[in-house]
Amino acid sequence: MALVVPFGQYVPGTSIVHRLDARMKLLVVVTFVLALFLAQGWLGLLICTALLLALYLTAKIPLRRAARGLKPILILLTFTFLANALTLSALPLGEAPLIQNANPFAGPFALPESISFTAGGGFGFKPPGALRGLYFALRIVLLVCVTSLLTYTTPIVSLTDGMVSLMRPLAKLRVPTEDIAMMFSIALRFIPITAEEAEKIMVAQSARGAVFNKGGLIKRARAWLPVIIPLFVSLFRRADELASAMETRCYRGKGRTHLRTTQLRAADLAIGGFGAVALILIGILL
Amino acid sequence: MLSFEHVSYRYPDAPSQALTDISFSLRPGEYVVLLGSNGSGKSTLAQLTNGLLLPEAGRVRIGDLQTDNRMTIRELRSQVGFVAQNPDNQIVSTTVLDEVAFGPENLGFEREKIRANVTKALEALGLVGFEERDPNSLSGGEKQRLVIAGLLAMDPVFLVLDEPTSMLDAEGRAEVREAIAKLHAQGHGILHITHELHYAHEADRVLALKDGQLVYDGNPAALLSEDNLLVDFGLKADDKGDDKGDGPFCHACENMTKGTVPFVIPSSSLKLQAVHYSYNFNTPEERAVLKGVDLTIDLGSYTLISGSTGSGKSTLLRILAGLLAPTKGQVSFSTGKEIKPGDVGIVFQHPESQLFARSVEEEILFGPNNLGLLSGATKEERAQLVTEALAAVGLDPQAFTQRSPFTLSGGEMRRVAIASVLAMHPSFMLLDEPTAGLDAQGRAFIHRLIAQLQESGAGLVVVSHDIEEFQQRAQDHLTLRDGRLWRL
Repeated sequence: MALVVPFGQYVPGTSIVHRLDARMKLLVVVTFVLALFLAQGWLGLLICTALLLALYLTAKIPLRRAARGLKPILILLTFTFLANALTLSALPLGEAPLIQNANPFAGPFALPESISFTAGGGFGFKPPGALRGLYFALRIVLLVCVTSLLTYTTPIVSLTDGMVSLMRPLAKLRVPTEDIAMMFSIALRFIPITAEEAEKIMVAQSARGAVFNKGGLIKRARAWLPVIIPLFVSLFRRADELASAMETRCYRGKGRTHLRTTQLRAADLAIGGFGAVALILIGILL
Repeated sequence: MLSFEHVSYRYPDAPSQALTDISFSLRPGEYVVLLGSNGSGKSTLAQLTNGLLLPEAGRVRIGDLQTDNRMTIRELRSQVGFVAQNPDNQIVSTTVLDEVAFGPENLGFEREKIRANVTKALEALGLVGFEERDPNSLSGGEKQRLVIAGLLAMDPVFLVLDEPTSMLDAEGRAEVREAIAKLHAQGHGILHITHELHYAHEADRVLALKDGQLVYDGNPAALLSEDNLLVDFGLKADDKGDDKGDGPFCHACENMTKGTVPFVIPSSSLKLQAVHYSYNFNTPEERAVLKGVDLTIDLGSYTLISGSTGSGKSTLLRILAGLLAPTKGQVSFSTGKEIKPGDVGIVFQHPESQLFARSVEEEILFGPNNLGLLSGATKEERAQLVTEALAAVGLDPQAFTQRSPFTLSGGEMRRVAIASVLAMHPSFMLLDEPTAGLDAQGRAFIHRLIAQLQESGAGLVVVSHDIEEFQQRAQDHLTLRDGRLWRL
């Protein structure tokens, strides 16, 4: 049983997208998402789409792979589209929003459903609603694809290192950034180990006749107890042993030195900075 | 010098002392092997060496640094590296390089010093070129070497290793053994704690622990030639055999009853015909592990299947137990009946990790209940089944039925786990590395159990990389290589 990886799994490569510093990539992704929500019409969204396509091509990530990543949200997309296409038609024709300002009520984080349901009334398929549905669906697609691109082109370790490094100024506010970094690292290390262990226990209990996928909700939940209890017992033992190992190696959250340098190259800064500014502008102006 | 001075220790709420009045010292550069059976107190002693546990009486110190002084504990720990059994639970980083640098970073070393120490440690443990690898992708032996490298980078004077090879396969054991010899040659003082006698040959000095007391401190050769002492210390099973004459003497077996086993699935054999198995079948990442395996397991037979790590032993076992469908080929009982989960008894490696119930009784009845063997059974019949299963593994039913499995010792947990499989009355039993991590008495118990099951008519398969342990007793020895079984 394979561990389900959220978004995409790292695809090794040497493209400029791959080589860009993880912190800068995070910055660009965050501004890209901001631009998606700030954009007030089709033009902004289409420019974002074009940009993202260009990035996928540069990174040499097959679009087929990105499409596969959209499968789990297919239902959400369909629902978004249909909810808009069907309910918006209740508005009198004259008041139907024009294409240019397809989401007049949307603030930066407005959810599509919140608008579409205010219309109320009868059902029926009408083009303006369909267009608006398409707009929202595309926005979700872009959101997922841009975060997937990040995980396709960046090893998880670099990502967490990047996040921790971006957090570092918070240490001055007495936020225990070293400890948080440590927790990230431990979590990353133990997720696959725990998944493998869960699978082993499941198989062992199946050999004792346990069945996991029959009966009602409560019966199913109970069926998992013989897996969950040993798994927790084991996790607590691991935690205990890991704590001893860390004490043995004199771990402390403060006053550690670091082997790896975290200097940004000029090119990283330039690309990251320009990218972020450009995206914000797209979002605000279009 | 690392010294124990009249050290005693008792765990909170424990009825008796884990260690009593222990005194010895370890000189820099000395290789000392500390021997002791399961439950002799050797892990407790290991944890006292660097202040993970503090003595109840007496003291542990290196020069002026005492383990109970909180002000100097970090300095003391930087001098005593401690390696535990399970490498997985000692690694904190997501790359090999970061892992080795972790200790020196904690000690606040300058970057150049960290770099130099890390390079030195990677070279000493043969891990050069592994720097950017994910520790999860390493073999067991490589992981344990990584743990040792991480401690070595802290410039320790002593290394304390608590059963460092007990979780490893033959290859990993050899690697770690070689690493220990090398570190000794480089001048590190080493305290190697183990129940495996063969490590004692290479030691400068041997200590032996029995029931929490230091019973031997001296020359390895003098101890190894004294069979009586070794048996007394629980380091060796008495191979003169007991009155019944089957296998080495085993204390736990004294209460074992054979009983007659009513087999649930009447069949004369278990058959695999041209079985193939591939991971990621029909995808570009397809990887074939089994490439045409034929195997017949008869009732009353005893087959050993060996093979190195990754040879597909576990996959084969899962297929035999009906837990995994082959990608090609036939798996069935000789009667033609298909094998379903629960039809064949399987004891996985470290089966104690599947225990979950509130009581031993509930644990044992879990399997029979799931299989529907107890529908309509009276309370007495259920109790009878529990009693039989416990007796078959030599545990006193009266004392154990109502206990929580989690309050048992490691050895008792393993026996309850085996009893919970036996209670399903399988006609075929598969055992995966059944002696892993067991001391002399524990191993004697497993051999006796197998002999009794075979005698009562069950068909047995043991899968192990430890050929020496089983090949004399098994009737048939097959080895899995390149996806096929070979007869030896």
